[in-house]
Amino acid sequence: MNTRPFTSGLGENAVTITRVADRQWHALDDDLVVGRAHAQHRPDGRLFVSIDAWHEVAFDLLAEAMLAELPSPLYTLVDEADVELTAGWRRAGFTIRRREWEYVVPTDPGVTGLDDVLPPPGVTIVPAGQVDESLLRAVDRAIRDEVEATVGWQSMPAEVVPRPEGDTIVDPSKYAVAAAPDRYLGLIRVVRVKRPRIGLVAVRAGEQRRGIARALLAHALGTLHHSGATAAWAEVHESNQAASALFEGIGARSMSSNLELVR
Amino acid sequence: MTRNKNVIEVEGKVVECLRSAMFTVELENGHQVLAHISGKIRKNYIKIMLEDRVLVELPPYDLTRGRIVFRYRT
Repeated sequence: MNTRPFTSGLGENAVTITRVADRQWHALDDDLVVGRAHAQHRPDGRLFVSIDAWHEVAFDLLAEAMLAELPSPLYTLVDEADVELTAGWRRAGFTIRRREWEYVVPTDPGVTGLDDVLPPPGVTIVPAGQVDESLLRAVDRAIRDEVEATVGWQSMPAEVVPRPEGDTIVDPSKYAVAAAPDRYLGLIRVVRVKRPRIGLVAVRAGEQRRGIARALLAHALGTLHHSGATAAWAEVHESNQAASALFEGIGARSMSSNLELVR
Repeated sequence: MTRNKNVIEVEGKVVECLRSAMFTVELENGHQVLAHISGKIRKNYIKIMLEDRVLVELPPYDLTRGRIVFRYRT
């Protein structure tokens, strides 16, 4: 345990920062826990930090103690609407690395205008649960390699979920695909835990601008609509204008934005 | 209500999602608090929705606000 006293300025008591475990700190004010800081590696290897503090002084002291001990770069996620928290991280020297818009996407074909959308000639949509797993992994790997060759996959998702090393498909049953006779051309992943979320929609580089992503969305949203879901959620990087145009064109509304900050 | 490490934790239900990344949570005792989500929930991309049952941590000196530290599955 590593304890460092600081004068908080809040009263007679000093706020004390204590490292209570590896990558965990507490801010104590007269033995009351008034803040906590935590750091953890995500599956992509980056170190993410978080601070929960009841007041600004505790936040700043926790940030100071944590940043002094952890290696750079450090990352954190905030809801952009959380002005107080965002300001705290900015005071600690963090800057915006990426911004993702969170869209709520209607499923009703009468609203989306996708009711008569079909895939291009020679392409069929294979529903979730019926895809060939080896072809699915092949198209997923091909698309990820294409991304790596351009902007880089690690810069793409704000959310990175644990998965077996070398594998990027956690649950094949969550995917629907656009299929040519000999291979898959694109995929869409929809996860339903509490609310439907479109986790990924992607098409091979050479097959883009043919309406395949739109057809995949029409299929996925139509399926959700028939099952009773009125809306789905999706996150889009602010620089991905094609994806934003696709979603906004079917009536999706931007509800919030998530910031990834780095220092 | 539980008390752990000087932190008061109370179960409640989200009754309003505010645009400022805050939520109104109605606690088991009927009181309502203004709550934001914890860093761990944010880091793990857990989304909080209307009607969600959540565990709220209250500060020791201001029981009108709180922090959502856990979302129950049902």
